[in-house]
Amino acid sequence: MILNPAIIALAVSAFIITLMLAYASFFGLRIIRHWDITSGSELQLRLERSTYLISVILSNVLVFQLASLFLFIFTADRMHTLFVGAMCAAGTLKVNAFGYPVLAFKAANFLLAFVWLVINSADLRASDYPYTKIKYSLLLVLAPLVALESAMLGLYVSGLSPDVITSCCGTLFSEGKQGVGSGLASFDPHASLAVFIGLVCMACALGAYAYLKGRGHVAYSVVSLAVLVSGIVAMISCISPYVYELPTHHCPFCVLQAEYGYTGYVFYLTLLIGTGSGLGAGALGMLRPAESLSTVLPAVLRGLVAWSAVMFAANAGITLYLVGSSNLVM
Amino acid sequence: MFTGHRERNILEFTLSSLLRRRGKHLALVVIYTALVFLLASVMFFAGSIREEASIVLRSSPEIILQKMIAGRQDLVPMRYAEVAEKIRGVQRVSPRLWGYYYSPATKSNYTLMVPDNFSYGDGHIVIGNGIARVMSAAKGDRISLLSPEGDPLTFIIAEVMDSRSELISSDLMLVSEGDFRELFDMPEGYVTDLALSVKNEKELSTIARKLSELLPGTRPVLRDEILRTYDAVFNWRAGLMITLLGASVFAFAIFAWDRASGLSAEERREIGILKAVGWETSDIILMKFWEGAVISLSSFLMGMVFAYLHVYFTSGALFWPVLKGWSVLYPEFRLLPHVDLYSIFTLFFLTVVPYTLITIIPSWRTATMDPDEVMRA
Amino acid sequence: MRHKKAEVFLIATAVMATLLCLCLLHGRVQENLRADELAKRSRMVEELMLTDLALFMEARYTRHLSLADRHSAFQDHPMSLEHFPAGSLAGPPPHLTGVER
Repeated sequence: MILNPAIIALAVSAFIITLMLAYASFFGLRIIRHWDITSGSELQLRLERSTYLISVILSNVLVFQLASLFLFIFTADRMHTLFVGAMCAAGTLKVNAFGYPVLAFKAANFLLAFVWLVINSADLRASDYPYTKIKYSLLLVLAPLVALESAMLGLYVSGLSPDVITSCCGTLFSEGKQGVGSGLASFDPHASLAVFIGLVCMACALGAYAYLKGRGHVAYSVVSLAVLVSGIVAMISCISPYVYELPTHHCPFCVLQAEYGYTGYVFYLTLLIGTGSGLGAGALGMLRPAESLSTVLPAVLRGLVAWSAVMFAANAGITLYLVGSSNLVM
Repeated sequence: MFTGHRERNILEFTLSSLLRRRGKHLALVVIYTALVFLLASVMFFAGSIREEASIVLRSSPEIILQKMIAGRQDLVPMRYAEVAEKIRGVQRVSPRLWGYYYSPATKSNYTLMVPDNFSYGDGHIVIGNGIARVMSAAKGDRISLLSPEGDPLTFIIAEVMDSRSELISSDLMLVSEGDFRELFDMPEGYVTDLALSVKNEKELSTIARKLSELLPGTRPVLRDEILRTYDAVFNWRAGLMITLLGASVFAFAIFAWDRASGLSAEERREIGILKAVGWETSDIILMKFWEGAVISLSSFLMGMVFAYLHVYFTSGALFWPVLKGWSVLYPEFRLLPHVDLYSIFTLFFLTVVPYTLITIIPSWRTATMDPDEVMRA
Repeated sequence: MRHKKAEVFLIATAVMATLLCLCLLHGRVQENLRADELAKRSRMVEELMLTDLALFMEARYTRHLSLADRHSAFQDHPMSLEHFPAGSLAGPPPHLTGVER
């Protein structure tokens, strides 16, 4: 256990967020069981009131979830000096088995909370709240995942001891070694970059189609998920060597450090928000179209797709700039 | 965000409503600001010292070799230096002569050291600025130190070290080797410990292992360990302070919860009227959000600015009694500012996030009250 | 003026935020202005082969934290528990809390 202000901050906020979501799920469960929009009973009135609470909690959770994702990486990055062998966040997260799972959960929960809020905002615009039951079922999925994330954060933090010898990003993400990181690093750099840019172009084309025709949102969300994955792969196998101007340095975390102008934050932020909106559009497209939403839904979907495509395009622009302005020739 | 007419109206209304209950909200803002101030001061202070240590101590020797006898550090025979010198990768072995001197007159401890080449010669001494302050001595003055037998040795102060280096040199006294051995009656051929310089950092752990094999009973201290000591110590210290302050954060959370949920009759009437004139529940939630945002934003900004001024313009004046402890001698230093987005972000998570989350439920309760229920109450 | 209070609040917040930015700017400027001071201290550490900051001078194991060993807190007699105020502030160095090398 290392007492560090940021770790305390992360642990405390994870604890409160988990409690709030547990509280919200309790209402969610009641809503799933007793929701009846046609009824004017006392219970229904109470349930309708609790929906406000849950939306407020979830929108707060979403914002703090995103912020805590970055605070977590930031903290891991800062703590690398405490561990023998670590040179950036990659080594700190490797100190015990829970580091990388916490990171993955944080990102996944952010995306889920994003989708939830998209469905919620569509639902609130209709007079008959058509998606209420779906929304609260999704909440019952999200809450345990966040609880699991907090528990793993607790395990990760309590298992941090300064005498552990960990590996630096140079060995975790190097070509020709075992492990996921090395596997990603040994992809052909130009192929992975081409796949990433290709997927972004595809997302933009599909986005334009969905924007104009009002169809193909599910396909768009699948592509946006692919963009996220290929973006991370491209970062490891191709973009990072260009940023560091070192053909053998494949670390996806060092790019977050100040010496690279925090470009890493812009890269990951645009990627995550783009994917979140894409998934949101897909989720709305997948749901049974509600009559009460027929006037509002197309506009909401158009907004989401446009926003997502713009984020991806910006991300691809940054990527091309980073690769293009690098002095490295590979 | 502020361009929306509805938002502006609600913000205006929120401010009026906050100002109507000035006393209640002022108390909240004062406590909130004080909390941010305390947490931020601790973090800025510890962060600056940690940063300083990590930069400055990077120049310290790669390996320090000490000899231990019965759990105590003992003098190292010079023969050890010859053994260490033969290990591959060791560039140079420099003997270090240093020790502590307790001065009964000022009731303080000094650190005596022999520099590699002491240019002033026997009979001269260079003292740290902290010692000069405690003794009120200046360059050219004479001071005498007592040997274990009680014989005084008199030195001429050749130099007082730069006050800007106090963080590392406040209690240092530099003397020549001859004077040091005479003062402490230290036998020739022995030194306090050895400093090894190693060119290739990758060989450090191998060399440390070889040292313990060849010279059992010695303890190598690596530079990495020195650096990590200060990193960990100040992380720990800041963490400890924040855990202690956690009690205050908790008390503050209860206070905030209470403020947000304990509605006065007047406030209840206000909500009731708002609802009666057609405000939606979501409008009242928005108003409550603005209320929290106004309070958080002003307290957070004020607390941060005050903490910055406290730590870097008064050198953390409030911490001095704690830091000094029982020492008579303590360094006076101006910290180099080291505040970045990371510390601001962490502070935000320590204060604003808990406050916001904790006030959600009470403000929702307020916002969903029935107008008739409220008016009747 | 219709939104007098809102405007006052927004201006006050902007002023506070600017002050905070000025503080951060002050930090950066100081860092540059006093870089030579820092370099001087680094040089001094190198020349004198120092290992520690002169922060806590009460006890030898707090004066030279990085050289403290497992016995230093009990050096006076076996039951002599750590009692210096600095000891409660500085905490144990990591090479003592970990596994013995």
